[in-house]
Amino acid sequence: MKQLFNAFIAIAVISVILYVSINQLNSSQGYSGGNTLTIYNWGDYVDPELIARFEKETGIKVIYQTFDSNEAMMTKISQGGTTFDVAMPSEYAISKMKEDGLLIPLDHSKLPNLKNIDTRFMDLSFDPGNQYSIPYFWGTVGIVYNPAMLNGKKITSWNDLWDPEMKNKILLADGAREVMGMGLNSLGYSLNDTNEAHLQEAKAKLNTITPNVKAIVGDEIKMLLANEEAAAGVVWSGDASEIMGENEKLDYVVPEEGSNLWFDNMVIPKTAANREAAHQFINFMLEPDVAAQNAEYVGYSTPNKEGLAILPEEISGDERFYPDTETTEKLEVYDNLGKKMLAHYNELFLEFKMHRK
Amino acid sequence: MRKNSKLSNLYLVLVFAILYAPIFYLMYYSFNSGGTMREFEGFTLDWYKEVFQDTRLLIIVLNTLIIALLSSAISTILGVFGALAITYVKKRRTKNTLLTMNNVLIVSPDVIIGASFLILFTMIGIKLGFTSVLLSHIAFSVPIVVIMVLPKLEEMSSSLVDAARDLGASKWEVLTKVILPYITPGIFAGFFMALTYSLDDFAVTFFVTGNGFSTLSVEIYSLARQGISLTINALSTLIFLVTILLVVGYYFITQRNNRVKGVAIRK
Repeated sequence: MKQLFNAFIAIAVISVILYVSINQLNSSQGYSGGNTLTIYNWGDYVDPELIARFEKETGIKVIYQTFDSNEAMMTKISQGGTTFDVAMPSEYAISKMKEDGLLIPLDHSKLPNLKNIDTRFMDLSFDPGNQYSIPYFWGTVGIVYNPAMLNGKKITSWNDLWDPEMKNKILLADGAREVMGMGLNSLGYSLNDTNEAHLQEAKAKLNTITPNVKAIVGDEIKMLLANEEAAAGVVWSGDASEIMGENEKLDYVVPEEGSNLWFDNMVIPKTAANREAAHQFINFMLEPDVAAQNAEYVGYSTPNKEGLAILPEEISGDERFYPDTETTEKLEVYDNLGKKMLAHYNELFLEFKMHRK
Repeated sequence: MRKNSKLSNLYLVLVFAILYAPIFYLMYYSFNSGGTMREFEGFTLDWYKEVFQDTRLLIIVLNTLIIALLSSAISTILGVFGALAITYVKKRRTKNTLLTMNNVLIVSPDVIIGASFLILFTMIGIKLGFTSVLLSHIAFSVPIVVIMVLPKLEEMSSSLVDAARDLGASKWEVLTKVILPYITPGIFAGFFMALTYSLDDFAVTFFVTGNGFSTLSVEIYSLARQGISLTINALSTLIFLVTILLVVGYYFITQRNNRVKGVAIRK
C-alpha cells in the first residue's frame, strides 16, 4: 500500500512540474493572451521565422497546428469543437467545403496585398471571384525521370512514357484523376473530359502502357525514385522538387500536351474565432518579401508575382517549376465533376489497375 | 543438447537484432550533419540543439507526457475498482457479461473509438483540446488496466480475505492491508501498459486534438508529408533513452522488493 501511495504521489508531483513548465513555455511564447490566431496548415508548410515576424509586427500570438490530408482537415472543421482561423486546403477540397457551407466569404477590402497575386491564378473555376480562397502555393503534375537510366534520353511528353524502351521502368502516383488525366492528355483531350467515348479511349490507351508500369504507389514514390528504383515517375511538382533535392541526377518535366495545375489556398473556416486577425495574416502572407521567403523555405511555387520578382534567378528562372506562359496555358485545373462522374473516373482507374499485362 | 542451446541463443540474438535495428538506424542518423537519412556526412549535435530551441515541439512533448501520466494514473484507479467489482460479482452470468464488455472495448478498432469520441465531444459541447484528449485516453486505458489486474485478483486465495475478516478487519482494512498489497504488481503492470498505450496512440488522439493542443504522434504524422527532419530523429533518440532508464529503474525497484519479501512478509 505504501508503495502504491508513493508511486501515486510521485506521479502527481511530476504532473504538477510538467504543468508548470508547459505554462512557463506557453507564456514565454505569449500564448496566454487573448489575441490569438490559430492556423491549420500542412506539416512544415510555412517558414517559422515568418510566423515569429507576424507575431512581432502585429502583437497577435499564433498557434500553429498541422494536418496531413484535406479529408482529415475537413472532418475536424465540419465537426466543430475547434477554433481554426485560417486553413490551407487544396482546390478540390475548397469546392467541397464551399458546398458544405464550411467557409466564410473573404473581405477583399482587408486584403490590399491581393494585387500582388498573378492574375493567371485568380478567378479560377473552383472559386470564381476568389470569394472564399486566396492562392498560397501552386504546382503541376509531371514526370520525374533519370536521364542516366534512359541512356541520356530526354522525356518531353506523356507519349514518351509509352515507348517500348521504358518497359518496367515507370512508377505512377496512385490517383484516379492524375492517371486518367495522363491518358486523356496524351490523346489531346481535356483533363475534365466527361465524354464517355473519350474516357473509354483514354482507358484503352492506358491499358497499353501496363508493360511499362513497374508499380502504382502512394507517398513512397518519392523514396523509390530518389533511390533509383525506377527510371521515371508521374508525380506532383511539390514531390518532384523534394525528390530532386535528394537525388540531383533526376530531372522534372511538365509534358508538352498539357497537364494538371493544382493549388493550395488560404481560407477562413466557419469555426474562426478571430476573423480580423485571420484577414491580417492572409494579407501578411501576400506581401512580396514574405511570399518570396516562404517559397524559398517550402520549395513550392508561389503565385505571388511581386514575390517571384524578388526570388533569386535560379529559383524564379527554373522553368520546370515556373513554366512559361505558353506551357501554363495548356495546364488545367480540376473541375468538380460531381459525385457520379468522379465515381466513374475511379472505376475506370480501378479497371486499369487490375488490367494484366 | 549444448549445440541446441547455442542455436537457440543465436536465434534470440537475431530476433533482437531485427527488432532493434530500425531504432539504432534512426539514432545513428540523428548525429548526421548531412541533413538526410541517405548518407552519413559527419558528426554533429545540431539536431539536439534544435530540439531544445523549438519551443513548439517541446510544448508538444510535455503535453504528450502529462496526458500519458495523468490518463494512466486515473485509469489505473478506475481500472482497479472495475477489476474488484468484476471479481466480487456473485452471479456467473453477470460476471461473464461484464468481462466480455470489457474485452470488446479492447479489441474494437481505435479509429472507431476516436471517431465516436469526436462526435460525442462536439455533440455535448466539450471543446477539443486537453480535456478531450485526456478523457479519451482514460477511456481506452481503463479496460487494459482491468485486464492486467484481474489475474492477480483471481490468483489471490479467498481465504486470505476470510482470515482478515475473522481477525476483525473492517472492509476498508481488508482492501488497503490485504487486497491492494497483494495485487500491487498487477496494478503497476496495468499502469505501465496504460502509459505506453497513451504515449504512442495515434488513431484516437488524432480525432480529439484541436485548438492548439497536439501530441507527438499526431505532430510527427503530419510532418511526414514533407519528409521528416532529423530533429525528429534526435527527439526519438532522447525519448528512447528515457524509456530505457525508466525500464532499468523499474527493474531495480522490483529486484529490491523481491529481496525484501524474502526477509520479512509483513510490510
